[in-house]
Amino acid sequence: MCSLLQQVAQGASKHNAMMFLTFLYLAACLVLTTLATDYFERLDLTPLPLGSLLASFEFRSNETLSAYNSQNFRYFPRSLGQVLQHADTKELHLRFSTGRWDTETWGARPWDGTKEGGTGVELWAWINAENEKEAMRKWITLNQGLSGLFCASLNFIDETRTTKPVLSFQPAGTHTQNGSLHLLHGVLPGEVVCTENLTPFLKLLPCKGKAGVASLLDGHKIFDASWQSMSVDVRPRCLTGQECLVEIAQTIDMVLNIARAKRPRGDPIPRPVQPHELICDETKSYHNHETCYPVDALETPEWSLNDVFGRPVAGACPLCDEEGPEAKSLCLHVPHSQGVWIGAGGFEVRSGPGEREKRCWQLVPGERFDFDMPKTSVRTHAQLDLTDELITAERTMTGHGAAKGGMRTVFTNPSSKDPVDIVVFESLPWFLRPFMHTLKAQITDTGFPSEWEVIKDVYYRPAVDRKRGTQIEMVLSIPPSSTVMVTYDFEKAILRYTEYPPDANRGFIVAPAVVRILNQVDATGNAKAIYIRTTSLLLSLPTPDFSMPYNVIILTSTVMALAFGSIFNILIRRFVAFDEVPENKLSKIVKTSRFRIALLKERIMGKAGKKE
Amino acid sequence: MGLLRSSLSNLRTSPRLLAVPPYISLLCMLGGIIWILLLPLDEYSRRTYISENALLPGQVHTYFHGTEQNIFRAYYHEVADVLEVQTKTAEDGSQQYMKATPAHRNERIRSIFHNSGIKTASQSYKYNVGGQELHGENVYGIVHAPRGDGTESIVIVAPIENFEKQLNTNGVTLLLTLARYFSRWSLWSKDIILLVTPDTSAGPQAWIDAYLSQHNPETVSSLTLKSGAIQGVIVIDYPFRHLFHELHISYDGINGQLPNLDLINTAISISSSQCGIPTLLQSQHRYAKPEHQHHYLNRLKVLGHGMRNQAIGHSTGAHSVFMPYHIDAITLTAIGQGREDEMAFGRVVESLTRSINNLLEKFHQSFFFYLLLQNTRFVSIGTYLPSAMAVGAGFTVMAIYLWLKSGYEQREQGKEQITKPTERDDGSQDKIERALADPNITNEQLLKQPSAGGVDRVKTKVWKSVDRHIALPAALLAILYLTSLVPMAILVTAEHETLLTRTGALCTVIIMVPVGLSFILADNTYLVDTNILFGPSTAAISANGVPKDLPEVGLITTDSSPPLDPSTRLTQFHAILKALSLLVLGLQITVLATLNFSLSMFLGVLCSPLAFTGYYPSSPLRARASLISIVLFNPFVITNFAIMGAKLAGYYDDSFGMKEVLRQWLEAVSFGWSVWGAWGVPVGVFCVWLPAWIVAAIGVMSSFIADEDGTIKNKVEKVKEDMKGGVQKVQKAAVRDSSQVRKRKK
Repeated sequence: MCSLLQQVAQGASKHNAMMFLTFLYLAACLVLTTLATDYFERLDLTPLPLGSLLASFEFRSNETLSAYNSQNFRYFPRSLGQVLQHADTKELHLRFSTGRWDTETWGARPWDGTKEGGTGVELWAWINAENEKEAMRKWITLNQGLSGLFCASLNFIDETRTTKPVLSFQPAGTHTQNGSLHLLHGVLPGEVVCTENLTPFLKLLPCKGKAGVASLLDGHKIFDASWQSMSVDVRPRCLTGQECLVEIAQTIDMVLNIARAKRPRGDPIPRPVQPHELICDETKSYHNHETCYPVDALETPEWSLNDVFGRPVAGACPLCDEEGPEAKSLCLHVPHSQGVWIGAGGFEVRSGPGEREKRCWQLVPGERFDFDMPKTSVRTHAQLDLTDELITAERTMTGHGAAKGGMRTVFTNPSSKDPVDIVVFESLPWFLRPFMHTLKAQITDTGFPSEWEVIKDVYYRPAVDRKRGTQIEMVLSIPPSSTVMVTYDFEKAILRYTEYPPDANRGFIVAPAVVRILNQVDATGNAKAIYIRTTSLLLSLPTPDFSMPYNVIILTSTVMALAFGSIFNILIRRFVAFDEVPENKLSKIVKTSRFRIALLKERIMGKAGKKE
Repeated sequence: MGLLRSSLSNLRTSPRLLAVPPYISLLCMLGGIIWILLLPLDEYSRRTYISENALLPGQVHTYFHGTEQNIFRAYYHEVADVLEVQTKTAEDGSQQYMKATPAHRNERIRSIFHNSGIKTASQSYKYNVGGQELHGENVYGIVHAPRGDGTESIVIVAPIENFEKQLNTNGVTLLLTLARYFSRWSLWSKDIILLVTPDTSAGPQAWIDAYLSQHNPETVSSLTLKSGAIQGVIVIDYPFRHLFHELHISYDGINGQLPNLDLINTAISISSSQCGIPTLLQSQHRYAKPEHQHHYLNRLKVLGHGMRNQAIGHSTGAHSVFMPYHIDAITLTAIGQGREDEMAFGRVVESLTRSINNLLEKFHQSFFFYLLLQNTRFVSIGTYLPSAMAVGAGFTVMAIYLWLKSGYEQREQGKEQITKPTERDDGSQDKIERALADPNITNEQLLKQPSAGGVDRVKTKVWKSVDRHIALPAALLAILYLTSLVPMAILVTAEHETLLTRTGALCTVIIMVPVGLSFILADNTYLVDTNILFGPSTAAISANGVPKDLPEVGLITTDSSPPLDPSTRLTQFHAILKALSLLVLGLQITVLATLNFSLSMFLGVLCSPLAFTGYYPSSPLRARASLISIVLFNPFVITNFAIMGAKLAGYYDDSFGMKEVLRQWLEAVSFGWSVWGAWGVPVGVFCVWLPAWIVAAIGVMSSFIADEDGTIKNKVEKVKEDMKGGVQKVQKAAVRDSSQVRKRKK
């Protein structure tokens, strides 16, 4: 609101008229700053090793609860708000992710993993309902609504794919009606996230993708990223002494490969470069004009916003703050010693001592902004001052064959002194039947020689065939500098012929496991949540030869057509001798007229014959 | 009904009909073999085609050329530096030959991977086979699909030493160059795993075992870096420096399992159509000119090679070990001198990888059971399987024939004895008379024999049903099958030093077994004793399978059959033993045909003479013919022939003696058993062939020991003396190879 007024004011002052508007603007701003900031956006750029770049977009807007309830939407997207109100959803978390985060190279995840989901689409929500049945009904309504809104197959999250986690998720908002809130969680691990999901996502933003940092969001670049995650979080937020707010936070995080992103859109094929473009190690003894030991992969090429996103920032979104720390909508996390060539259109602010070195820019509405980052060469994330993940988790399937298999999850705690407590949440489809008696946790490699109880608690909800999947939540404690392997065996069910999805021979994708790290505190001493997710798995099920039923159907149909057709024909047809059939009038007329014509013909012909 | 039944029962004992089954059996076996010989004809084989539409072979542009070759050359220097023997001039001017250590070698390969920004890991393994330790270290890198989620992967393998123990420097270099090239593309839907193994046998096995967590963690270390389900494997083999002419595609897996035909067809289609490189199968370049590939004889040779590889069930390259895990894999080998360079090879691999990358589902569309005749022609299971089944049926027919025969005896009886009806079924009196009028006693012979009273009595020789005593033959057969596991265990677990001595000893023991057993059995007291032991209970099985409660007609006089005389007892014993053995053999051949067609076919052909040998005490000609076939179709003699054949065909040069070749083969069997789990040859020889052979040999030996008139017990000493020379001959012939082996050892 302030910015709008300011724009108006600027326009006015340019024309040297209506000076009082400036006064009005100042007065209005004084009134409005008592309210919390209504819209905020930020892009954080962090170079990663081996020529990658992490871009984190964050957009946040608020609505007061009363305005929200009376459907008086300003920055909060109306389409989403109505769906949420219709389904009585108090808190919503929606995630779209592709690719995988490479912990080894890139370090810890952005947002401590709280803003990312497993591969595909993940959705969890707190729904206000009287009982579980009603909650499920509202949940289905919510999924149907979101499915249409985000162009995703969220409507396929039915009861078999819905779980009710107990330990893994905590509400992020402040809720008053705790008793009647139901947490429901659903995943679509096979969903392919692409531009059709990005467009509705951008539409929820007040500046749509036309101005501000959101103008950088181009489907071609986002979905060519090595890893990307989009999130939508809606939560009620009550600060003491203020009216409760409904906050929507949208984030897009992606890791771009700079060399790949720099390729022109018209020609993205990585053709072999021309000989003079090769970057060779010239110290090699064999180096000559046709022998080249390449050294380009480890260098981060020079880049600018235009290079990696295909366009510069189209000025600030006019709805953002003008002043204060929240107004700096573009930040680059590089040390101050690193030179950056800045274009016009933004004011640079460098971070002060004490915090991680970064430089931020305050953008000007309507003015394009870009900068140039020169070539660097960094190989490890330690060089970039990135933090390590507290724990790494790797889940794989063991065994082979169509009948049985095993699940193996390996957790590694790199810390030398602190044990890590985690909750592992797995939701398995019903046709994967785990044998819980085979659940075993063993410490395979440790620098901590003492007895340790790994599994502290297990929450297990067995599957019901064709009704619901298995839900396993395990509280594990991983001793310091150790590797823990959790294994269990499972059996693959044989599905009914019609239950197989299309492309049954691909197998089924098993949703990633969600790992929540417990008992972590942030810099200010408050408890914080840290999540990591494993990769999804491909479960190959015993599949029938689908051509066989078709052959059977075709054969049966043919036999039926031939045998039934002819038998039916013989059975119902009445065979009557030709002379038994009584003549009807029409045929009588035809017959007599024919006879007469013939007679006439004969007569004429006869006469003609006589003449000759 | 009664009439029908009686005429059927008469048919059963009709001598003409009883003479037919051996011919049917022979027909089945010959038919099976002829069937195989027909397969290479155009009428019986089909053209190959791509079944899975998603593969789209050769539909993509390949870009692996230009400056990638500069990089290839540089990598070649790096790789050759650590793989090949380097000559270095020392300070004093002398030439020194140096070879890098495996650790140094792997360090270099990993550094090249790292240089391309690819994550790498290594895995060490150790196998203990026959007292020899085999150890090595695999190195691999994973190109993560930039937008993939790590659920699927493609593996490209380059063994440092190829199947023929040649150094695959160019192949490893190509793999590293491709790794760098692939990592720049963002279109991958599957991760690409690039594996460098020290050899083609143990290294890939250790790696895939660990990948699927099927390994023994004590000997094979676990993988630290993993990806998703493996959808396809391509092995690169380019074991020389010069330009090549053709690509050879190897596809045989362990235990005769084959990759999906689509993978082979895709490779052939890409190589020959897109890249213009001719393709070969089954070492065709050794025996067929490229323009003669479609000739009948060449197709038959390809078929034979394929069947041989399938029957042996051993690795034919690094791809073989993936097959037991239902992972489709092939090896591409550069062959000949031509004008194609490593970039062309690289483009084939690139295009093939792109095709596999296109797959949404795993390979499932095309055939898994096939025999290839040429790169564009194949025979599917529906066409070739009947041949093995026919051979298997041949044994079963013989088994049924012998079983029927064992229920009757040719007994000399006075006519009045027969005409006397049994007391029980007076209602069927007339039928019996009618049955007697039948010509079922056509072989009745007038024998003039001096009777006790000096009066000539007319006696007839008729088929008379008797009780079957199956306990002893069944027990003997079971014991034979169980004990046949012992020599198998001894051979596959033997230390390599003692392998030949053990084999020699085993041969001697095994050949002595039938001789010894036939001597024991010739002494009828054992049979009589067991008769007392088992006799009454075994009578429960009615001689001709007619349930007891039915009215008995004709000659069936089960209840009142008199005790057998020793000679008949011996004949029956041999017939039952042979019948049961052939029944099991037929079953084994048939079942094996569905698991490993070629193995079952070869075993069936090798065992076929055994079906016609037998206990012929009264026919010296048949007995001798049986003896010859027993000696010839003995596993050890056939092995000798095979070695000679292999040497003649030029697989081994003259420096290899028979003994050396045999030792190599035995080591391969023992290695295959313990590393790959290749059970084909040991199980086929020791659990199928050997027991059948021993049973056949017992029959043949016994016919030389037993006498026609059944008074053997009195004559046994004399017969033993008479036969001593003969038996010794037999023994000599049979033990020939083992003694040769021993001689050569000296």
